[in-house]
Amino acid sequence: MDAPRVVIVRSPGVWTAAGSLEPAVLARMFVRGFTALTDERESARAAAALFRPGDRVGIKVNTIGGRAISTRPETAQALAAWLVGGGIEARNIVIWDRTTRELRDAGFAINTGGSGVRIFGTDADGAGYESDLTDHLDVGSLFSRILTELVSVSVSLAILKDHGLAGVTAGMKNYFGAIHNPNKYHDDRCDPFVAQVFDAPPVKARHRLTVIDALAVQFHRGPSYHARWAAKFGGLIFSLDPVAADRAGWTVLDRFRREAGLPSLEAEGRRPAYLATAEKMGLGRSEASVIETIEEAGP
Amino acid sequence: MNRRDFLRGAAGAGLPAVCGRLAAQAAGPTLTRVEARYYVKLPDREIECRLCPRFCRLGDKERGYCGVRENQGGTYYSLVYGKACSLNVDPVEKKPFFHVLPGTTALSMATAGCNVNCKFCQNWEISQVRAEQVEHFDFPPEAAAAKAVSSGCPSIAYTYSEPTVFFEYMFDTAERARRRGVRSLVVTGGHINPEPLADLLAVVDAVKVDLKGFTEGFYKAYVRGELKPVLETIRTVARSKVWLEIVYLVIPTLNDRPEDIRAMARWAHDTAGADVPVHFSRFHPMYLMKNLPPTPLSTLEAARETALGQGLRFVYIGNVPGHEAESTYCPGCGQAVIRRVGYSIETVRLKKGKCASCGTAIPGIWA
Repeated sequence: MDAPRVVIVRSPGVWTAAGSLEPAVLARMFVRGFTALTDERESARAAAALFRPGDRVGIKVNTIGGRAISTRPETAQALAAWLVGGGIEARNIVIWDRTTRELRDAGFAINTGGSGVRIFGTDADGAGYESDLTDHLDVGSLFSRILTELVSVSVSLAILKDHGLAGVTAGMKNYFGAIHNPNKYHDDRCDPFVAQVFDAPPVKARHRLTVIDALAVQFHRGPSYHARWAAKFGGLIFSLDPVAADRAGWTVLDRFRREAGLPSLEAEGRRPAYLATAEKMGLGRSEASVIETIEEAGP
Repeated sequence: MNRRDFLRGAAGAGLPAVCGRLAAQAAGPTLTRVEARYYVKLPDREIECRLCPRFCRLGDKERGYCGVRENQGGTYYSLVYGKACSLNVDPVEKKPFFHVLPGTTALSMATAGCNVNCKFCQNWEISQVRAEQVEHFDFPPEAAAAKAVSSGCPSIAYTYSEPTVFFEYMFDTAERARRRGVRSLVVTGGHINPEPLADLLAVVDAVKVDLKGFTEGFYKAYVRGELKPVLETIRTVARSKVWLEIVYLVIPTLNDRPEDIRAMARWAHDTAGADVPVHFSRFHPMYLMKNLPPTPLSTLEAARETALGQGLRFVYIGNVPGHEAESTYCPGCGQAVIRRVGYSIETVRLKKGKCASCGTAIPGIWA
């Protein structure tokens, strides 16, 4: 098995002094991330390596944390713009999450209309969940019809947070927001449920890549927002390997924890067990030593 | 935007329309926000729920395992108080209660939510969904009590899903119902902590506990819960003045081992006494357990014989309409004192709670 590649693009300049995001810097971060991920020099060729023009792309964001600690609208819009630049029609892109209210609360401008990138939740009129259960291993869930019927390709655009039970919530656990009953899958440190939800056909058949919004992260006492344990990392994490992407996120969180004088997740007894399970299931690689990590720093 | 407009927009946008069957769709912004009981506030806007043995510890904006209680800014709320999603007038035998007001109807109600996740759940469309994913309607406690009276129901049954998760709603309804002379019957899996259970027992009249197996392994694998707190609940109800019945759903190959049935029956006898009714119910393929056949009648009959052999005096077979073990037999003379066919009562031969033939007292709530 080839070493999975993870690209971490950091640009401290992405944050303005006023605490907002700089769109131009963010756009460049996506170009750098995708070109490094694909070994292509040009953005268009990177897009062609990852997507086909007819793809209907769902960008699954995580907005449960409200405006303070969710996938940022600017990040999702920058990704959508990059996709459009790469040949995906805007009308074939959906930014989505569990509920429209949570998207709105996180700052997203809802668009259920017929033009442009659309943004809405599974609870929007006409969307909803599938009527038939997906029964997969220990998971029995209804999946969002946005995932199963509207889109053909899924990008997990997750926020990076500490999670009191799972250890880490990032790209894989983001798909808990695609099922109707995520509250049922937090036993036993969310393991094996995170891996099994990802492995379920509705997700596995569509997931194309992971991009983790690590512009600001919650490194302790997550997944809720706590200002004193949130930090600006100014980074995006890209990978075609969903397990490796989350492993990289874990490393980032532990870095902040160490700087804050906190024990590592491992030392705190909260090692993200779902990663090893995911590796055993063949979903990716979880050992940092076998992951090719490319770190790009810029202005 | 209504659904038609949405679909028109979807078609115009080049995305395939999604129409037709919808399940677990949001029902609109009508959830309540009534502060929950039995929780403690923790630093940093966290809370710990102490209603059931899960002890969910939740940060801001997080929801409990039940899916109907949420931490909002450090205060824990029930989202379903007064928000019924199911309401029916059912024969009390359907719950089943066989020693409670036979031949009467119970106003049967539920909200969304459950604190376990049984793979064989019969009502998963309401129990295994979050509060906003199922249609619900305003039905406050006073309205429920009044509805029971106007419907001619001498009881209200909190059933279908898991009433523990709508504890506040159930409790207040039971209080109001009692003032009107209406009894309250609880149909539960028994995952509830001692303090709320003690409070609940002060306002309700009967509890039926679904004892879903008799090993921790079964509970972990197929219920996503624990056996021990369920046994504690049964023990507590048995020690109270509240009437208790036990249902054991017999699932082929999973919880039907004779030694487990024997152990369960012995435990029930020793804990709740010889008079506690025990119902062995037939399993039907359902929800996430469609790979098993219905329980063979011979298995149910063997379970009943085993339980009778352990000294239990009122042992029934359920979900087998017309079976003779649906009826209640006097332990004194062996005569049928209540003859049932399905949910119907054919004859009642009780006089003031005693067998009309021999005068043996038959325990239960008869009037």
